[in-house]
Amino acid sequence: MVRFVNADPAARVPGVAVVTGSASGIGAAIAAELASLGWRVGGLDLTASPRCDTSVVVDVTDAAAVAAAVATVTGELGPIDAAVSVAGHYAMAPISEITLEQWTRMLRVHLGGLRNLSKSVLPGMLDRGTGSIVAITSELAVGGGDGDVHYAAAKGAIIGFVRSLAAEVASRGVRVNAVAPGPTDTPLLAPDSPWRAAEYLDTLPIRRLGAPEEVARCVAWLIEEGTFCVGEVLNPNAGAVI
Amino acid sequence: MAEHLAGRVALITGAGRGMGVAHARRLAADGAIIAVNDLTASPELTSLAQELGGVTAVGDVSDPTTVARVVATVQESVGPIRILVANHAYMSMAPLTEDDEVDWWRVVDTNLGGTFQLIQAVLPGMRAHGGGRIVVIASEWGVTGWPGATAYAASKAGLISLTKTLGRELAPEGIVVNAIAPGVIDTPQLLVDAGAAGVSLTEMHTTYASGIPLGRIGSPQEVAAAVSLLADHRLGSMVGQVVQVNGGSTRGRA
Repeated sequence: MVRFVNADPAARVPGVAVVTGSASGIGAAIAAELASLGWRVGGLDLTASPRCDTSVVVDVTDAAAVAAAVATVTGELGPIDAAVSVAGHYAMAPISEITLEQWTRMLRVHLGGLRNLSKSVLPGMLDRGTGSIVAITSELAVGGGDGDVHYAAAKGAIIGFVRSLAAEVASRGVRVNAVAPGPTDTPLLAPDSPWRAAEYLDTLPIRRLGAPEEVARCVAWLIEEGTFCVGEVLNPNAGAVI
Repeated sequence: MAEHLAGRVALITGAGRGMGVAHARRLAADGAIIAVNDLTASPELTSLAQELGGVTAVGDVSDPTTVARVVATVQESVGPIRILVANHAYMSMAPLTEDDEVDWWRVVDTNLGGTFQLIQAVLPGMRAHGGGRIVVIASEWGVTGWPGATAYAASKAGLISLTKTLGRELAPEGIVVNAIAPGVIDTPQLLVDAGAAGVSLTEMHTTYASGIPLGRIGSPQEVAAAVSLLADHRLGSMVGQVVQVNGGSTRGRA
């Protein structure tokens, strides 16, 4: 069936979104952006997300717990139209110093969090023939970085997952896309992070860190207006990777 | 989101038909003052400008002198151009061994050269006003290439590299350059394609849709939505990037 979607902002219909990592940083900004556009937002995080309509404390690496959390959000807010996988953590280490535990945790949180969220929301989306999933990856998945092996591997895996799942479910009305921020001004970046140093900022074409709100704008756009974007990665990365 | 571009002049090239019309309507809905360019004057272009309360800016953008005149005329009548949407394109296809050299270069000089000249012409105004947004319409074929389209694909790939370079070069001045690579979109070009393939327009749509994961071709409004995102002065962290609006046909980095 050919269905044209008129990407007219006046015609958009806000629905129910679930956002992981919603308690702070980029996740909180995405929840706020969607709420400002009229969406009802269920937030999943290790701590409460007080600004979300529904908040569930959950570890995204626990598949059963994520499924239960999604069921809770669905029960309280209704069927889920959009899911955003944001939960993550950043760490730098040379390859020889990355322990198996650190490596595994990095993959379980980023890739596993996306997998668990997608598995939980997809049945409902496929039943209704509509839905949008957005994963937060990273410019380091695209360009790599010295000391970023396990983070970049996990974020790169997200891109492969997104492009494959996108091809798998697009014909059934579900769009899967990603946003790959660059260095962004969030609590994930410690005050003494090298990404905050003036020497580094001077190397960025825009000469500043990205703002969480800019990432959130890209996510909201993919959900509401990117109706012909499938398996696409938007790169609000301050020009770090072009 | 509505009206956030209020007071900002946007020049959209190739706005006589197809996607350019959608870009103009969308940026007008976002509040911008619209200047619509096309190769020649037409009732359609005039009525579009009237509908949107904007102005026409007719001229061949492949000619540097004309570009300078077009930009100057727009700026004199409605003010400095803060948003440029380089949407114009010329396409002809032929196997490389059979192509016409003059026509081949016309494709490149219009698509790639015209955009280069437009950017040169709008830069002084953007610089004087502390920044701007430049949206370059590339093409899926500039990412993937296509048989019989050496000139077109080269011109569009060149636009992608131009975008990446100017993204780096101009971002420190607050002038943000990005590109969009549309896939198959429902424009008058599809009628040309159908004619060339000897099939009906409906059959052409079906053929194209079968190669797209989403199972359909795109609408001009869906590309215009991406123009709207990249024209937004509040989004400055996306620079030198290519947004692919193609229903999932490429799923790769541009």
